Amino acid sequence: MQMSHDRLDEYESGQFKRKFRLLLILVIVTAMLIMMRLWYLQVTKGDELRQRSENNSVRLRKIKSMRGLIMDTRRQVLVDNQPSFDLVFVPNRSRDINNTIEKVKALYEERSLAVPSLASFTGKIKPLVSVILERNIGMEKLAVVETHALELPGLVAEVTPIRQYLTGEMTAQIIGFTGEISREELDQEREEPLTPGDIIGKFGIEKYLDGHLRGKNGAEQIEVNASGKAVRSLGKIKSLTGGNVVLTIDSALQEAAWNAIGNRRGALVAMDPRNGAVLALVSSPSFDPNLFNSGISFRDWERLANDRRHPMENRSISGQYPPASTYKPIVAAAALEEGLITPETTFYCNGAFQMGDRTFRCWLERGHGHVNLHRAIVESCDVYFYNLGQKLGVDKIAAYARAFGLGSPLGIDLTREKGGLIPTKQWKLDRLGESWQVGETISLSIGQGFNLVTPLQLANVYATLANGGALYRPRLVKQLESSDGLVVKVFGPEKMKTLPVSARNIQIINQALWGVVNEKGGTGHILKRKAADVAGKTGTAQVIGLPQDDRARKVKRASTDFMDHALFACFAPYGNPEIAVAVILEHAGHGGSAAAPVARKFIDAYFDRMKAIHPKPPESEATGEEKTTP
Amino acid sequence: MIMIKPDRRLILNFDWTLLILVLLLSGIGLFNIYSAGFSLKDIHRAPPYVKQIQWILIGIAGMAVAFFIDYRFLFRHAYFFYGISVILLLVVFMTGYATRGSQRWISIGNFTFQPSELVKLTVILALAKYFDRHRLGTDYQLRKLFIPFMIVMIPFLFILKQPDLGTGLILIIMFLSIVLFVGLEWKSILIATIGTLLMSPVFWYFLKPYQQERILTFFSPDRDPLGSGYHIIQSMIAVGSGGLFGKGFLKGSQTQLKFLPEQQTDFVFSVFAEEWGFLGGMILMIMFMSLILWGLKIAMYAKDYLGALVAFGITILIFWELFINIGMVLGILPVVGIPLPFLSYGGSSMVVLMAAVGLLMNISVRRFILQS
Repeated sequence: MQMSHDRLDEYESGQFKRKFRLLLILVIVTAMLIMMRLWYLQVTKGDELRQRSENNSVRLRKIKSMRGLIMDTRRQVLVDNQPSFDLVFVPNRSRDINNTIEKVKALYEERSLAVPSLASFTGKIKPLVSVILERNIGMEKLAVVETHALELPGLVAEVTPIRQYLTGEMTAQIIGFTGEISREELDQEREEPLTPGDIIGKFGIEKYLDGHLRGKNGAEQIEVNASGKAVRSLGKIKSLTGGNVVLTIDSALQEAAWNAIGNRRGALVAMDPRNGAVLALVSSPSFDPNLFNSGISFRDWERLANDRRHPMENRSISGQYPPASTYKPIVAAAALEEGLITPETTFYCNGAFQMGDRTFRCWLERGHGHVNLHRAIVESCDVYFYNLGQKLGVDKIAAYARAFGLGSPLGIDLTREKGGLIPTKQWKLDRLGESWQVGETISLSIGQGFNLVTPLQLANVYATLANGGALYRPRLVKQLESSDGLVVKVFGPEKMKTLPVSARNIQIINQALWGVVNEKGGTGHILKRKAADVAGKTGTAQVIGLPQDDRARKVKRASTDFMDHALFACFAPYGNPEIAVAVILEHAGHGGSAAAPVARKFIDAYFDRMKAIHPKPPESEATGEEKTTP
Repeated sequence: MIMIKPDRRLILNFDWTLLILVLLLSGIGLFNIYSAGFSLKDIHRAPPYVKQIQWILIGIAGMAVAFFIDYRFLFRHAYFFYGISVILLLVVFMTGYATRGSQRWISIGNFTFQPSELVKLTVILALAKYFDRHRLGTDYQLRKLFIPFMIVMIPFLFILKQPDLGTGLILIIMFLSIVLFVGLEWKSILIATIGTLLMSPVFWYFLKPYQQERILTFFSPDRDPLGSGYHIIQSMIAVGSGGLFGKGFLKGSQTQLKFLPEQQTDFVFSVFAEEWGFLGGMILMIMFMSLILWGLKIAMYAKDYLGALVAFGITILIFWELFINIGMVLGILPVVGIPLPFLSYGGSSMVVLMAAVGLLMNISVRRFILQS
């Protein structure tokens, strides 16, 4: 049958064999070609391509460290951390970020969730550099994003610890807030290099102790698949939680101070005169530091920055005010110490003091009559101090003021502390190119004129008087601890200097300050208490007078912005001082009627708190009372 | 009808080399597909390697049938088989369902079948039969090639319409290989070459945009690394990162993390090369080359011209599929969808190739039987 199909001649012949030989060559050549290509890819370029395969699949993820806790003096936590989720775009195969953003927006809109103004990115973004689209998304948004993960390539919800400021506005200016590191901050030299996206302290203690609080970021090598999802961890360096900070602040007192000021503009500083520990430091109005947690919105930032009441300014350390009559004890101390007067020296006050062709008025128009130092302080007689000022001269007053820690920052544990201003003849010449006018010394002697102090400095002056002349550095930080609570560093009292004023002279002044509160005719009698009596001084700082022509137009404004600042500074209990307080209320009127009641509320709260913490045995109270009688 | 005639000589002269080579290759393919599908956690479907085992078993059955059958029976009805396969293509064309924008499959119950794979074999048979019937004793001229040309062009056009450029291309290359094998006049070769060159712009015009894109991408894959260049770049990274010894079974990161596209079908070789390295690649190539050279040997010593033509056709089919597939994976040829013989996941290709190998064995063994 078909078996008869025999080979053709050609089939038998060499022609057929030649074709197979050619085929053999073809096959072998192609095989060689493939082997060479394989060698080229796997051996010649093997390392490079292996690297590329690793770049494909291995990502370095930053593990953000948790910041340390901030606690008050009784270890009550003021600042905590809580997990938050950031929406992050990790460029991968899908580098079309705008498409993903649109999808996210659509998903939000569908569920009528707030649609953030997600920045739109022009063109393609850099590979492997992740972009934070939205910070601190709530649980609702997190659920939406997670359930639609497959439709949103490259989108990940990243856990970030954020700050929780438990005491909010009350402590905002002390504790401050954190934020993403700026380009300028990145350029600064640091022990540990920081990278974009790191969170650092921006203000307050968060900034001042950033190095201690920040901790150290960890890193994780993760393997991702082609759609960018993490598959497994290849290696991990744990992050180190930042250390804790214990403040000297007592949050109960801080709250009392905050409530005492209420919604007025001003500051209250309370410190322990025995060691310089600041117990309360309030500046009002304030702001909510939690706004900064998720990157403050532009609108919120504008509102804060443009607020005429300057809520971001820490008035207690950077507000500078004329000390007014609260300055009188310093002038008195100078005059006593210089031997220009004795406690018995009297001056006659008829309500005015004549200096050349200028008349300087006493606040009491009818005058105080003959007054000695004690009465002059108790009744805050201006004419008496005009006389002292005339005798002392500006530079002597300045020397004593400086001895009391005025005129330069005290070095509290915060940034942006101001130093106030204590003028001298040389200062005026240098600064204004004018020589000193004797009349200016007269204003100066009642704390007006060029004089400026911060509430902190004022509190410190009274703390120094209270403790008999030791000038301590005001401290806000009690101790630093590691994240697991081991004490790293304890800050004790730091005595900076001793007043060049004798104990006796200090005693004379303190007695007068006691009189201010406790004697008939004293300007601060509102603080008179049954137990633990207060010694203090009122002050009413004139705000620069209105120009005549403006007055008519701006009557209304004048009624608030041009009102006097009210001051009160004091310490208590008189016999054994535990606390020194300075209160300044802006444009609030008289020290005695506006600032003193605030101080009273605070002092009451302080002693209530002390009683609650250490109930005093009755006998010690008795000795206290005995001592308080001057 | 001459059907299976149990013959002691079939066993005595059985081509063990061929069987072992093919089973080895399929076995390697199985492991490779297991690895490629290892991290695909699709609980709704059987893992790909399970299906591939089924296909291999069906393929072995097909191989047995093709082996035990007297090949002259097949050859006698070559045009009939050809006709059936073209009708199947027509069925795909009419009713085939759309998968990834192309219509290639016929569904039979749970299984899908790709007639274009079958056509590769029936075209070989038909061409072999034609050239056996029309032996000239000299080289052919172009005008004498009209009928064989049409034999290829009819399925070619259907396949191009699917569209399946790869299989179409294979058909054309098969045709050219067989024509050159039976002999073509130098003048005709010249005219055909010049004609093809002149026609290529027209051909380009008929390509779909994505096919044009693939060819452009081949010349510069970095044109669009995440788009059309993605396949080839990822494939080259996978192969290259395997290095000399490979990353190890189930340890290819490109594979396991799904960076490789089509990693069980057209790009299986990158999976293999990533996990087994240059050494593994070389062993695999040696096995393939042995298979091809063995096939050529069978063609050379076939007892009749028809058997030689069929054996040549089958061998050269395996050769071209191997070369085009690996060339594509290694970035020396453009990306066209051609499976790697015995290694790619897919039933039609596996069963048809197994049957073709059965036929090769048949031709190999009957050399001895026919002598009597």
